[in-house]
Amino acid sequence: MLVSLKTLKNYVDISNLDAKEIANGLTFAGIEVEEVTSLASGTGLRIGHIDECVPHPDSDHLHVLKVNFGDEVKQIVCGAPNARSGLNVIVATIGAKLPGGEIKPTTIRGVESNGMCCSLLELGVDAKYLNENQTKGIEELPSDAPIGERDVLGYLGLDDSVLNLKILANRPDLLSLYNVAREIGAIFNRKVNIPTYEVKDNFKTDLVVGSKTSRCSQFSGREIRGIVTKESPKYIKESLMAMGVRSINNIVDIGNYVMLLTGQPLHMYDLDKLSKHELIAKDDLSVEFVALDEKTYKIIPGDIVITSNNHAMCLGGVMGSLECAVDANTKNIYIEAASFDGASVRHTSSRLGLASESSSRFVKGTNHFQAEEVINFASYLIKENCDAKEFSNIVTYQSEQKIDSVLSCSTKRINNRLGTEFNEKDIKDVLSRLSFKIKEINEDEFEVTVPTFRLDVTCEADISEEVIRLLGFSNVKSVLPTLEVKVGGLSLRQSRLRKIREMLLATGLDECLTYSLLSKDNATKFNLLNDEEHYELLNPLTDEREVFRTHILYSLLESASYNVNRQNRDLALFETSNMMSKVSRSEHLAAVLVGNELNRELMNKTPYDFYHMKGVVEDIFTLLGIESSRYRFERYESNKEELHPGKSARIIFQNITIGVFGELHPNAKKELGFNKTNVVALEMDLEPILESKVSISKMTPISKFPTVSRDLAFIIKKEVSAADILKVIKKNGLGILKEAKIFDVYEGENIFKDSKSVAITMTFGKEGTLVDKEINDVLVRIKYELSHAFDVEFRM
Amino acid sequence: MENQNINEIYENAMSEINESSTSEKLAELKIKFLAKKSVLMSLLSSLGSLPPEERKEFGLKLNETKAKIAEAISKKEEELRKEELAKKLASETIDISLPSRKRELGGQNPFYVVKDEITDIFLNMGFEVADGPEVETDLFNFELLNIPQDHPARDMQDTFYISDSVLLRTHTSPVQAHTMQNANGKPIRIICPGKTYRRDDDDATHSHQFAQIEGLVIDKDINIGHLKATLELFAKKMFGEKREIRLRPSYFPFTEPSVEVDITCANCDGKGCSMCKGTGYIEILGGGMVHPNVLKMNGYDPDIYSGFAFGIGIERVAILRYGIDDIRKFYQNDVRFLHQYRKKA
Repeated sequence: MLVSLKTLKNYVDISNLDAKEIANGLTFAGIEVEEVTSLASGTGLRIGHIDECVPHPDSDHLHVLKVNFGDEVKQIVCGAPNARSGLNVIVATIGAKLPGGEIKPTTIRGVESNGMCCSLLELGVDAKYLNENQTKGIEELPSDAPIGERDVLGYLGLDDSVLNLKILANRPDLLSLYNVAREIGAIFNRKVNIPTYEVKDNFKTDLVVGSKTSRCSQFSGREIRGIVTKESPKYIKESLMAMGVRSINNIVDIGNYVMLLTGQPLHMYDLDKLSKHELIAKDDLSVEFVALDEKTYKIIPGDIVITSNNHAMCLGGVMGSLECAVDANTKNIYIEAASFDGASVRHTSSRLGLASESSSRFVKGTNHFQAEEVINFASYLIKENCDAKEFSNIVTYQSEQKIDSVLSCSTKRINNRLGTEFNEKDIKDVLSRLSFKIKEINEDEFEVTVPTFRLDVTCEADISEEVIRLLGFSNVKSVLPTLEVKVGGLSLRQSRLRKIREMLLATGLDECLTYSLLSKDNATKFNLLNDEEHYELLNPLTDEREVFRTHILYSLLESASYNVNRQNRDLALFETSNMMSKVSRSEHLAAVLVGNELNRELMNKTPYDFYHMKGVVEDIFTLLGIESSRYRFERYESNKEELHPGKSARIIFQNITIGVFGELHPNAKKELGFNKTNVVALEMDLEPILESKVSISKMTPISKFPTVSRDLAFIIKKEVSAADILKVIKKNGLGILKEAKIFDVYEGENIFKDSKSVAITMTFGKEGTLVDKEINDVLVRIKYELSHAFDVEFRM
Repeated sequence: MENQNINEIYENAMSEINESSTSEKLAELKIKFLAKKSVLMSLLSSLGSLPPEERKEFGLKLNETKAKIAEAISKKEEELRKEELAKKLASETIDISLPSRKRELGGQNPFYVVKDEITDIFLNMGFEVADGPEVETDLFNFELLNIPQDHPARDMQDTFYISDSVLLRTHTSPVQAHTMQNANGKPIRIICPGKTYRRDDDDATHSHQFAQIEGLVIDKDINIGHLKATLELFAKKMFGEKREIRLRPSYFPFTEPSVEVDITCANCDGKGCSMCKGTGYIEILGGGMVHPNVLKMNGYDPDIYSGFAFGIGIERVAILRYGIDDIRKFYQNDVRFLHQYRKKA
């Protein structure tokens, strides 16, 4: 809402307040002022008369002018095509400051120039208010313009400051300059003077008004005959310009002016174009409608239509029809001030893409009980400016009764809500300033009658807001709440998640954040854990972001690829995030390792592989105290070319797959732009382990007896896994084998292609002294069982 | 003569020992002077030819000399060992300025730095962390927060819909309604960090995805002073002890009165600069007293209970604190960006 201070000051005393102070006052009363601007600006301006205009001797378009100010004559070089002798013009004299800079004496192609003839554009006036001639050349002032005048902006009516108010959804009443004046009066405790007008009727209308829909609760109007369309008076034009509306003609301008001042949109019909003397609001029409903009719109049931003879004359609150539009030849009009349901107007205007100052007022809410006052105001202006003499009676249809909204309040309750100690008098004073009517009940209690324009005030909490926004939040005592002491903090689940994230950071992985919305295509890529149905948006912005993801990994691979494309080649990334599908909700972890292990000596690079990620997974289990016996890895099988079939695994916990990890399939690497770099990826559902119970492990005594180590090396078929070998060994330890670990695996030269060499170190111990024979017996047994189970060849 | 010989041998031995500079040389001298066949020991054979009265004295002298030489040699040996060790250690000197062998800490997207830090501030004030779904119903995202169908405030938040009644939450406030409905009328003190979505085109200052931290306190006799003090404490912990806050009236459908909270600009200490557009203050969050309708709809009697709520934009706080110029940077995860935020204790 743009508010012209020059217009405003007619209705509220703002003497001694500058625009900045007013803006500040409004802001701290909860009405944000986005900007304070001047309609035009410029110092050192003067009105002059062009005595002489001759072509510049050295130019085909410049002129050399002699401009007369009454007390002096200046030579000015001017390039405007409309410069001519006899014209009255605005001159920026030497030293003048304009939006574009300061004016200095110059010499243009050898001719001295002492000033500049200006267009309004050069004074900072927005081009939308200017016609073609005004933007192309210098401003042509009327012949009676006061020569020598220095208050040029004042003469032009451009000496106005404009406040740009950001109107929040609860204060549609401030889309009226009158109400802004009331608000400022209340804030600064200044006198407010909103005039009322009455134009008496001099004939009775036979035009019938009514409504067949609850979407139009009120409809008022009157006939006005014998109007003459012409230019608007200067003050209306200036006021409209300051408030962002272009002047058209007196009738249209009065409609807009009245709306800006009162907040009530008006509509005018050319009376002689109505097929029947009736205007009835309906909402059940399905017709084509040619609007004022000469375009055809489809009206559907639910749209509010003002009909005459069941014929659509106006799309209520949105736009009138071309058929009964007021034009330059209109003589008799019908003027309408109605109340339309905001939701319906919102649906209609957004469906048809027709939004206007009027429709937005209805959408946000208008005062339903000021129509006749507004019509009288408009009538007065029409009488004054459109030569109209015949005014009918005002006819009103109103389906709702005016019931005052009365709220019971108490000083104590208001102070309790606010944490303040305002006395009763201060509270009542503020409310009266804001046009609330107060009725005393007892010492503490009182009743407040809400003014009809304040649609937002419906309960005592709203009253407390009125009090605090005018008396100021600085009166609120800052006190920490005294609350019951209780065990707060993170839940087990939340703290486990926090620990996992902190551990991953400590082990050198970077924590990432990616978008939850994916394209349909990408939502299925690398979705290794589930294929539960995604949520899909009805109204996506782009097809890149139209489904709600159920996995993180694809997004994280995209981040990795983004980095690789920027020469960040070695990466360790992770993200945890809550996932939601149509059937479940759970916390996921994804990790991606790319290139070489970070932070190792540059000469000794270790490429990331399957086992690095296996380590990450094992670390998480260890961190949460989950023993290795409670989970296992199994080979991951898939028909998708996402993970390397030989270098990938499932994580099984409590017999369900909670994660999948592995090196990327070469084809997937190519598609994601990684090419030959190593990439290892993980997606894991953390939910089962965040909730899992962990028992407290009692201390195991440390043996006083020394242990003995023995190594065993053998050649075995490649496909036999380490886990299988260790299983056989551990099963045959006869109670003295404490540990068995693989410390070397070799494939290559001197060994058959289908085989590998495996070296194992075993630790033996017991509560007592071990003798060689005991160990040898176990070794013989292990060797026997190994050769029994697999095809092995022992090495020395 | 023999005495003279002994003295001569002693002198020779001492000077040779002194001049020797390696342990090999000393080993040679040991043989030369102390072995059975050495000059000194060969004098022992002449012992028999001496008169008995001289024999004892000569013998003593011989032994004494042998002991002295042996001591001198071992002393020299010790000296040389020390020297050689020192030389060896000196030769092993390393360049201590070369890079260490360690694992670098991972970089943390500043989003999480801020999210965890804000969470911890409120945890320390006795808050708990609540949680709610990102795919929400219209009921929880709007209706139960005093934003009925066709309420103009719905236009403030352009919404991604999944169906007529299911949507991506546009704020974390629905967690207020969930928490109230699950709390069975008991007092509440929670925060809820979470992702939110609005139908905005992405640019430097807009993002279709962003995150908030919702706060909610419900009890008897809660007033704006409590909100003010809580947020003051938060602002000082988050932005520094010198920061002051200021409340400005505003509008949210689910709070009444509603406030915008500004803090004094950290860049200019409230004097006014380009960062705060000359005002000395920067807007950081919104809040207010829970609207009586919201309390009522979610199972609390507004005549008995009152409460305050607030919402903090996580990215906004991170942007202010770290001077991040583009909200999209949070979602790109360029490691050169992430590595600027190593986890701090």
